[in-house]
Amino acid sequence: MNCRMGKYAYILLIAAMLIGPVVAHAVHGSGEASAPGGTEDRLIIITPDGQEIRNEYRWAFAQWHLVKYGTPVDLEFLTPGGTADIRRQLDTIYRAIRDAHGGNLPPENQVDIGIDMVWGGGDYEFNSKLKPLGILQPIQIDPNLLRQVFPQPTLAGVKLYDQDKDKSGNPLPPRWIGACLSSFGIIYNPDLCRSLGISPPKTWSDLTDPRFFASLSLADPTHSSSAGAAYMMVIQRGMADAEGEFFRTHTGKPAQLKAMPQYQTALDAGWKLGMSRLLLIAANARYFSDSSTQPPSDVAGGDAAAGMAIDFYGRVTEETVGPDRETFIAPRAATAITPDPIAILYGCHGKQLELANHFIEFLLSEPGQRLWILKPGEPGGPRDLALRRAPIRRSVYRDRSGWADDFDYFDTAGGFNQRGEWMGTFSELPSIWAAAWIDDRDELLDATRRILAVADPNHRAQLLAELSNLPVTRGDVTREIAEANRITADHSEDPDVWHATQRLNWAKRFAAHFAKVAAETAGG
Amino acid sequence: MRLSQRAVHRLVSLALYAFFAVFFLWPIARIMSRGFETHDGHLTFEYVWLIFQDPRLVRGMFNAIVIAAIVTLLCLLIALPLAVLSVRYEFPGRGFLGGMMLAPLVLPPFVGAIGVRLLLGRLGPLTVLLGMGGGAGFDWLGRFRAAGIILVEALHLYPILLLNLQASLANVDPTLEHAAANLGASRWTVFRRVTLPLIRPGIFAGCTLTVIWSFTELGTPLMFGFNTITPVQIFEQITDVAENPLPFALVVVTLVVAVTLYLTGKVFLGRSYDSATTKASVASAPRKLAGWHAAAACLPFVVVLALALLPHVSVILTSLSAPGQWYRSLIPREFTLAHYHAALTDDLAIPSVTNSAIYASLATAVALVVGLGVGMIAVRSRLPDRGFIDALAMLPLAVPGIVLAFGYLAISVGLKQQFQQRLPLWLNVQEMPVVFLVVAYATRRLPYIVRSIAAGLQQTPVDLELAASNLGAGRMAVLRRITLPLIFANLIAGALLAFAFALLEVSDSIILAQKEAYYPITRAILELSQRLGNGIYIASALGVWAMLLLTITLLAANRLLGRKMGAVFRV
Repeated sequence: MNCRMGKYAYILLIAAMLIGPVVAHAVHGSGEASAPGGTEDRLIIITPDGQEIRNEYRWAFAQWHLVKYGTPVDLEFLTPGGTADIRRQLDTIYRAIRDAHGGNLPPENQVDIGIDMVWGGGDYEFNSKLKPLGILQPIQIDPNLLRQVFPQPTLAGVKLYDQDKDKSGNPLPPRWIGACLSSFGIIYNPDLCRSLGISPPKTWSDLTDPRFFASLSLADPTHSSSAGAAYMMVIQRGMADAEGEFFRTHTGKPAQLKAMPQYQTALDAGWKLGMSRLLLIAANARYFSDSSTQPPSDVAGGDAAAGMAIDFYGRVTEETVGPDRETFIAPRAATAITPDPIAILYGCHGKQLELANHFIEFLLSEPGQRLWILKPGEPGGPRDLALRRAPIRRSVYRDRSGWADDFDYFDTAGGFNQRGEWMGTFSELPSIWAAAWIDDRDELLDATRRILAVADPNHRAQLLAELSNLPVTRGDVTREIAEANRITADHSEDPDVWHATQRLNWAKRFAAHFAKVAAETAGG
Repeated sequence: MRLSQRAVHRLVSLALYAFFAVFFLWPIARIMSRGFETHDGHLTFEYVWLIFQDPRLVRGMFNAIVIAAIVTLLCLLIALPLAVLSVRYEFPGRGFLGGMMLAPLVLPPFVGAIGVRLLLGRLGPLTVLLGMGGGAGFDWLGRFRAAGIILVEALHLYPILLLNLQASLANVDPTLEHAAANLGASRWTVFRRVTLPLIRPGIFAGCTLTVIWSFTELGTPLMFGFNTITPVQIFEQITDVAENPLPFALVVVTLVVAVTLYLTGKVFLGRSYDSATTKASVASAPRKLAGWHAAAACLPFVVVLALALLPHVSVILTSLSAPGQWYRSLIPREFTLAHYHAALTDDLAIPSVTNSAIYASLATAVALVVGLGVGMIAVRSRLPDRGFIDALAMLPLAVPGIVLAFGYLAISVGLKQQFQQRLPLWLNVQEMPVVFLVVAYATRRLPYIVRSIAAGLQQTPVDLELAASNLGAGRMAVLRRITLPLIFANLIAGALLAFAFALLEVSDSIILAQKEAYYPITRAILELSQRLGNGIYIASALGVWAMLLLTITLLAANRLLGRKMGAVFRV
């Protein structure tokens, strides 16, 4: 009997280990947004945003909706991965619906994909990828509220919400609205930089320093749209420098100068300069992670000396470990400040549409905006961790008491920002970058090591310049985009197979280039 | 009309065939069809050919095979000497050390990877220990990323080989070795030319399990950020499942490689329930060691144990470390229990425990019913296809979890495309993955339960069941009142193991659970490990809890099964 009791006591212990935490969780309480009163009202949002943002907004929105409308609403999140993963999933879902209805989407009240909204991922993704798919609903927002939130509809040339107009020039309801502002920058570990004898990086070019070899933490642009946007900033900085030089050396009004063919040639050269800088930065990478939260973690842990990250990732990590372990800086006049949008998906109707509009209302309200930046414990602030994102509503900047960070993107933005007209090559660039930096990683590292071993500094610099001069032009990429669009439109080939083949071809071309440069180091 | 026993067995076997057809063969068939079929239904090898043309994917496959081979070799090098020492010799502490050798099984390797990543950090404890912590440190993982994966996997998997080798060694007829020694062969020659060939089936059985497991492991390379490996490359494409045929082609190639590895091991093994293994006709008495001989015998156990417990210790220390305080130091500079408190209040952590407990319980119940059916057919019936049914039940060992999970995902997405809004919620894995997770866990853990039940049925004389039948008891009464009570310990032990490993299943959880509300523990740990701030510490706290649970479960199973425990982990 005692032996049997002893044997089965283990089972009781297992049961206790399973039930105990659940009971403790219930006793300690949680942030369950559905707790107040319980609710069946639920809004489903697909997002790449991290859990800290999801938790805080889930709880805050439930409270806000209870107070304003008398019932709490729960937010349920789908997190299939990064922005590209979300776009693929949505594209697949809607394509299946179109295929089942003769190529067109049926009326909205006949569509139910089980997802109501898409939130986060950058304005380029919403404007140039999701909107053309025809899957974003016009948001019926009060124009007065829009003017109240956005007294200026743009920030240094970047639209803060979708601003299409009809044929008469009247504004159409926006299909996406910015919920907060994002910037990109450099993160570095001052302690490790000192040990490596490198000055803290201040510009993108500083990251090309060969002393950073195998010490940078970077994210894969085919998985992380924030990484892709940061890399695009490097290219746009190059193009802006080339444009500035062109304007300095040619006389005439900007509109006239831009019409000159030499202007496009100058932009091409600027684009190449940006690509070169990126290649040298990539050559210094330890590896490329799928997750954009990995670089701040690597830098803070001392595994990498520096990296590139979205602003709030850098700031949150800096707060956790202290500035001597990780510091975030936005390169002066070289980084974009862009909105992070929210949109309602096609097919959201009835009660769900009403709730979706309420969520947008909350996001744009002062409490919803302050939640991005207040310290934990402040009235209206987050429960656990400061989110450290920049509000997009101008009026909240008048009172910054209780803020985790004291900055104002509306003041600091100016001169340089993301130029929509220069984003034309962005759709294909991530896979071209990946072909050079990731697929040909061994060849790139081999060539870089050989170059760094060359004794003559002039020869070394010349070889690095040659290495970074990838055999690809802006025109090549533009033509590839046109070809991709054609294949998608006429279904002459499987688009996925075509893209995979294109990436293979780029990788082969770049590998040959790296091998050729590596061979030139043989003379020493 | 009372059915004959044969008829009942046949009905049960048909039900089993239906189960395997729907939950095992259909997902694999779905993958195969998408990997070899164009959009308009024609057969094509283009997609598979494209896999072999893509250097990134070829490199991924190469890395997966090489890492699996190195892990298996390392496991063999660790396990073989330990097995020989523990079976052939007796020395103080043998029992305790032998039991502790199974310690690695209590920690899912991808959780151990969290700790090992910190241990091998550029400015981490290893660097400090080697006196390099003052400067720029040494980037172990930057230079030898795969080494971290190999270390974690080898230290987790060697117990499986150890159990197989111990069982094989115990079954070797010592008279053969004595005869060789009497003919003048040295101890090493006897081992090399008599013992090793006799235990070869055990070596191949353990190596088969190890190499397939390592080849298809997803969680550990994910944690190390090692993306150029096939399982991670498959995982990266799960959002493209509906339209893109390339992920299916990659899964097909993975499946073919894994099945080839399994069949290779099976050919060398050739074991069945009917035939006895090479059982010793005389019991082999272990040689007693004393003095420094005994100490020398303990030494490899202590060294291996110290290395094997590194991931456990590092996860525990991470869970107790104040954020950012394990930096340029051997142990954290500051300790805290705050992460355990945070885990208790976190909206992701504890709800995932509830989810996992529910899924694992349901899966265990399903696996018990199916496993009992397989056991009865394989051991008690005289059906000509009983061996085939047994082999079907063991096939989940050969088919990687990532492949099955991918297949379920593809089935669900396909049904969604076909039925749109008419599809019931429980069939839409992206909305509600519960059913698919339960089925995936049940299928994957079925071999443990079948093994355990079959072992129990083999030990239970059929005469007792016949006697009860002769006295007028119906078949259900015989099952309920004679058979089940007699194999109760085996049922419980198999259920415990299946429950515990289902609770901490990695590949299925990561691929199928896409909605936070349905996250099981392992998905929650992955999500937490990527959260900024204190996420990695909460993940470690949850990992420590998982470690304790698995420890208690294994102890319970060991208590119930005794020496038969090893049979559960054998092919």
